[in-house]
Amino acid sequence: MIPVVAMRLLAAAGLAAMLGWGCASDTPRDTTRLTVGMRFEYPTPNELIGLPTLSYSAISNQFFLPLMAERPDFRDGPPTWAPGLAADWEFSEDRLRLTVRLRPDAVWSDGEPVTAEDVRFTWLAQTDADIAWGYSFYKESIADVEVVDAATVRFHFDAAGPTALADVSTGLILPKHAWGERPFAEWRSDPGWFFENMVTSGPFLLENRTPGRELVLGRNPNYFEDGLPRLERIILRSATDSAALTNLLLTGEVDVVSGLGATDAQRIRNRPGLRLIAYPNRQFTFVSWNTRKPWFQDVETRRALAMAIDREAMVDTIWHGYAEVGNSPVISSVWAHDAALEPWPHDPTAARDALAAAGWTDGDGDGILERDGVPFRFELATFTSAPARWDAMQMIQADLRAVGIDAQPRRVEANALIQRMRDKDFDAAASAFAIDTSLDLRYAFHSQSIPGGDNYAAYANPEVDRLLDSFATRLDPAAGLEDLHRLQRVLHDDQPMLVLWEPLTLAAFNEELVSVAPNALSPLANLEEWAWR
Amino acid sequence: MALILRRLLAAATLFLIVLTLAFAVVALAPGDPLAPSDPRIPPEQAERLRALYGLDQPLPARYLRWLGAVVLRWDWGQSYRTGQPVAELLFDALPPTLLLAGAALLAQYLLGIGLGLIAASRPNSRLDLSVRVASLVVYALPTFWVGLMAILVLAVGLGLAPAGGMTSAAAFELGPAAAALDVLAHLWLPALVLGLSMAGDIARYTRSSLIEFQATEAGRAARARGLSETRILLVHGLAHASPRLLQLASVSAPLLLSGAVIAEVVFAWPGLGTATLLAIQSGDIPVVLAATAYGAVLVIAASLAADLLLSRLDPRIRAE
Repeated sequence: MIPVVAMRLLAAAGLAAMLGWGCASDTPRDTTRLTVGMRFEYPTPNELIGLPTLSYSAISNQFFLPLMAERPDFRDGPPTWAPGLAADWEFSEDRLRLTVRLRPDAVWSDGEPVTAEDVRFTWLAQTDADIAWGYSFYKESIADVEVVDAATVRFHFDAAGPTALADVSTGLILPKHAWGERPFAEWRSDPGWFFENMVTSGPFLLENRTPGRELVLGRNPNYFEDGLPRLERIILRSATDSAALTNLLLTGEVDVVSGLGATDAQRIRNRPGLRLIAYPNRQFTFVSWNTRKPWFQDVETRRALAMAIDREAMVDTIWHGYAEVGNSPVISSVWAHDAALEPWPHDPTAARDALAAAGWTDGDGDGILERDGVPFRFELATFTSAPARWDAMQMIQADLRAVGIDAQPRRVEANALIQRMRDKDFDAAASAFAIDTSLDLRYAFHSQSIPGGDNYAAYANPEVDRLLDSFATRLDPAAGLEDLHRLQRVLHDDQPMLVLWEPLTLAAFNEELVSVAPNALSPLANLEEWAWR
Repeated sequence: MALILRRLLAAATLFLIVLTLAFAVVALAPGDPLAPSDPRIPPEQAERLRALYGLDQPLPARYLRWLGAVVLRWDWGQSYRTGQPVAELLFDALPPTLLLAGAALLAQYLLGIGLGLIAASRPNSRLDLSVRVASLVVYALPTFWVGLMAILVLAVGLGLAPAGGMTSAAAFELGPAAAALDVLAHLWLPALVLGLSMAGDIARYTRSSLIEFQATEAGRAARARGLSETRILLVHGLAHASPRLLQLASVSAPLLLSGAVIAEVVFAWPGLGTATLLAIQSGDIPVVLAATAYGAVLVIAASLAADLLLSRLDPRIRAE
């Protein structure tokens, strides 16, 4: 009897829940609020103790503002800066001092003014050893931050450098009056404390937080821009899986999802009521050839590999066209990209000829090339957490097999593989870099970055070192365009890494949303201007 | 009492072994979880973090300090990913998992027993055959696939359920009754999907136990006393089957938990499984260790509870 009763009760409850859900789904849209799906949980509003990722920054930027913010115009030229909490700024003649005047109308959400003391407090926190902020290296050039008066702050530099504005503007200004009471040594021990002591200077404030589920942002009434934000409430819902987020989007439970996979984008592409936006980000995926290994020591062989691998097919098959074939680590969406570079063509015949010219022959007739008794057989590794790259590894294996090379794909846990690549304990591996607009690529190609660093290929070329050093020290990056073009040409010819693709970021929006303009700097860029039609 | 003490002692020993093995596997795995993923971040940064999290200490010292903190204070350290105390993080994640697993267990038993009763009431009929085949099919289907299909058809297609999550957006504004209904609306589909995987097993066990009971002296005596078939099966038959069904509960606990990991991801359910997956993906070792231990505790507790319940139901076990 009991099971029957229980089953009836369960059925009744399920029916009630379904009916309840059905009714709830029919309610008209509340145009004062927006629900955004995200693939992570926002861990702390204090960016100095959270992981430095673009996704977290996109949210932190709704709460706090930097002094200046980079404009997304990096396709047209070197970075330019828009005022954030700063009203204006001025360099001294020798560029060793930068004086910044704060906006007079900038106040925290509790009504306290944003002052120069907040700016100095932030710098002290950013450079504190106990806090160990990931991006503290941006502040190494800053010798001191001087409070001139409540609304004026002066940055002192050790030397004049091209990245001074980027160094100053990296990092959001934090509230000294609210967070200063907590010793820096205790910041990492309780990140939740910052949620409980939130005051914000950005367009939004924290209204509610349910761990693991959602973060609710409310309009900051003290935000200095009149009439903004246009929406009263933003609800950020978490789901770890891209397909799960896509389902929430399809049922209308979320209005926006960014960072979709290409397969999920296919499901959304022609869906009525939804708009898919594909925009460039600043990443590129590549295969590093370890030049310390016998297979990859000579340029001719590396060029042959570039011709043997069909990257167009990868972009079409794996990305369904939502990527571009890569050609240079200075990616095509930044101003210094050399558009004159011709990608290595997919030409297996030319690849075979080049391999033969480089001394690779199939002497024993087993279908695998050899040189000096070494068969062309190597391990091609990538991260376990990168399914697109794993698919690419399979395609590379097939392409290389067609020219007599036996590449053996292998998946390795990300941290373990990065360590192996830094130790040069690998044959070939696929990975990805995200570049910033300073375009300082010394970490990836300078010979000083070989030991334990991210010059995975162990690539050393004195000309490349010289070009990298020269560009990194130019006060006017635009004047270094020739150097950057030459650098790309040399890397293109030497092929220490084969750039596979530049992915596009895929975001889907309810088509009733207006003024939406995501960009490579943030999927939630200009969120304060978003509104329902 | 002696049995309880023996079982508790065995459970504690097993837990300690799980802790040690988990620590060893994670600590000896290659790679540095605190290595910066952004190549522009200098390696000294990782050194600083390593020192902050005590990873610059020798392995035995780290193990003893970690074990001491866990055993004495239930302190699992801090998440590398979020900086949050791990115990707090999992404390938030545990109730949703228990709710989902509990609801799935209920669904599994209600469905399984119901189908078993139907099959046993007409043994070797077409109905019986259909139930048996269906049981095997649902047992063989992977939970993630069933989950995805259920979402596509019932949520995205028919709008009968939310596509994921445990609550609707901004559910904190709802009153208690509306909030409970909201959770129920989100719960029924993942619970059903998760419960289905083991319901087939329960159905087959229930069926065979009931058919077996009908052939026993007790079954024949009940029929001779003129009891209805329904009463014989529902009351006496199920009482006969209950020890075996309880044993199945202890077997299905680990399956439910591992299934919950998958179901949570597919249904965006904010529980232990989602937290564990995030931790594994991001190399968040303290959370991985704690989640492993929480899983072990749940499985051990479920087995212990089933053992103790069995001993209450079956005097032969007490006598052992």
